[in-house]
Amino acid sequence: MVAGGPIIEARDVDFYYGAFHALKGVSLDVAAKETTALIGPSGCGKSTFLKLLNRMNDFVPGARLSGEIKVAGRSIYGSDSDPVSIRRLVGMVFQRPNPFPKSIYDNICYGPRLIGARKKADLDVLVEKALKAAALWDDVKDKLTKSALDLSGGQQQRVCIARALALSPEILLMDEPTSALDPIATAKVEEWIKEADLSIVIVTHNMQQAARVSEHTAFFYLGELVEFGPTMEIFTRPRERRTENYITGRFG
Amino acid sequence: MSEARLLAPKLSPTEKGFRLFFLAAAIVALGQMFLIALFLLNEAAGLLATAPLGDFLFSKDWYPTYEPPEFGALALIVGSVVVTIGSSLIATPVGLGLAIYLAFLAGRRKREWIKPAVELMAGVPSVVLGFIGLAVVAPFLQDVLDLPTGLNVLNASFILALMAIPSIASLGEDALAAVPRDVLDASYALGATRWETIWKVAIPAAMSGLSTAVILGLGRALGETLVVLMVAGGAAQIPTSIFDSVRPMTATLAAEMGETAIGSAHYHALFALGAVLFVLTLAFNLLAYWLGVRWRRG
Ligand SMILES: Nc1ncnc2c1ncn2[C@@H]1O[C@H](COP(=O)(O)OP(=O)(O)OP(=O)(O)O)[C@@H](O)[C@H]1O
Ligand SMILES: [Mg+2]
Repeated sequence: MVAGGPIIEARDVDFYYGAFHALKGVSLDVAAKETTALIGPSGCGKSTFLKLLNRMNDFVPGARLSGEIKVAGRSIYGSDSDPVSIRRLVGMVFQRPNPFPKSIYDNICYGPRLIGARKKADLDVLVEKALKAAALWDDVKDKLTKSALDLSGGQQQRVCIARALALSPEILLMDEPTSALDPIATAKVEEWIKEADLSIVIVTHNMQQAARVSEHTAFFYLGELVEFGPTMEIFTRPRERRTENYITGRFG
Repeated sequence: MSEARLLAPKLSPTEKGFRLFFLAAAIVALGQMFLIALFLLNEAAGLLATAPLGDFLFSKDWYPTYEPPEFGALALIVGSVVVTIGSSLIATPVGLGLAIYLAFLAGRRKREWIKPAVELMAGVPSVVLGFIGLAVVAPFLQDVLDLPTGLNVLNASFILALMAIPSIASLGEDALAAVPRDVLDASYALGATRWETIWKVAIPAAMSGLSTAVILGLGRALGETLVVLMVAGGAAQIPTSIFDSVRPMTATLAAEMGETAIGSAHYHALFALGAVLFVLTLAFNLLAYWLGVRWRRG
């Protein structure tokens, strides 16, 4: 892959929930190792688009797709592509923290164990690395065997981040990852996003957050990608009237 | 600064009345439980005049109408335990399998009629199931396996399993359906297959409910009377194979209660059997409770 080239390429994506046309001709490239924010009013299709990138919409009965989505150069909806291996490459962090009702340690090991990691020594290293990467190691290093459900919301969300990172994904999808968190926990997660050395696609309702953490911003409206460009430009001189109205709070 | 006062408002007379009513209901329920247990143990203790506890529990000779009578309950206790274990070996995998199928594998359409059908099955009167054991299963076993009688451990276990499966499946499905969708999505998003998600996330998360479902289903098998009276064969012996007849405690109680004189040694012996059943059932419920608590958190 060319450095700085796109890691995700979406081309003419149309998506339907049954008869409902949720995404209309969306084409968008996600730059490798950078953060791309998806913004837009509620119901415009941000989560729908995000979930297409790791095939989490496969579970929706009656969902249909046309167009093409490539991840790391390979078409993920081709007849020979396997959702399970795609999801290892493309991790996801959800809106509400959703740790498993297991220990912190077992939460982090869940993904690696699925692909056959068994040795305690290897897993220990992995857990420490993932928790450090998610800026949680110091908080929990003495209680790894405690249930992840006993942590605070912000800590739980960082467990979820660490859990996704334990598989060393190329890409991390985050759907409003801080909407259930308080300002301090939010700041920690944002800090992490800015430092992270991987490609991130983040959905957010918070304009300041998009401005703070992302290099590129995509504005969706009623299932269409209205405008997409460097975050600085979208926020300072948007080309489209609808984008300007949205970011200045005139609707949405 | 004014004096701090209680925030909870004073109860109105109606509210007080309600409170009293519910308190009384609780006392009545607990009190009757307590009185039943007391009565049972008291009547059972009457046996000790005739037979020591050790003989009652560990001798296998149950000859209540001989002269002198013998009240060794071991064969009856073993009879109950054996059919309960037998039914659990059938009902646990089938019931839980059905629960998993309903919760994760059946499409919405199939669920919509299978689940009510299963719940309806739970309502079939035990005498009907017993009759099926008598009229269908027994002759079948006898013919196919060439046995002297089809009324045996296997038949009783099978019919008891039929009784337990719907409740295990229904309670088990409730437990699995209560696992949050979020958590299952997290598993899929980490590249787990459907089976891995069921095994490693859904089942452990629902373990408390699943184990309760199994124990309650089996508790029902242990206490069930009519079915074992009809299809277990009625022989007070320690079985050496699943094709032997047995006489579980409940069947003994039902069969012999009518023909004993109140206050006789036989009468006390039957109460002693009742007390053993009571203790076993209590143990089952405590186990269900303990498992429920134990598995609640990861
Ligand atoms: N499973 C589904 N079945 C049918 N319609 C759906 C489904 N999921 C989403 N939709 C519809 O698709 C549209 C886009 O939904 P989506 O969740 O992508 O919006 P969103 O931009 O993420 O909104 P929000 O900011 O509120 O999360 C909405 O109109 C929604 O009602
Ligand atoms: Mg959304």
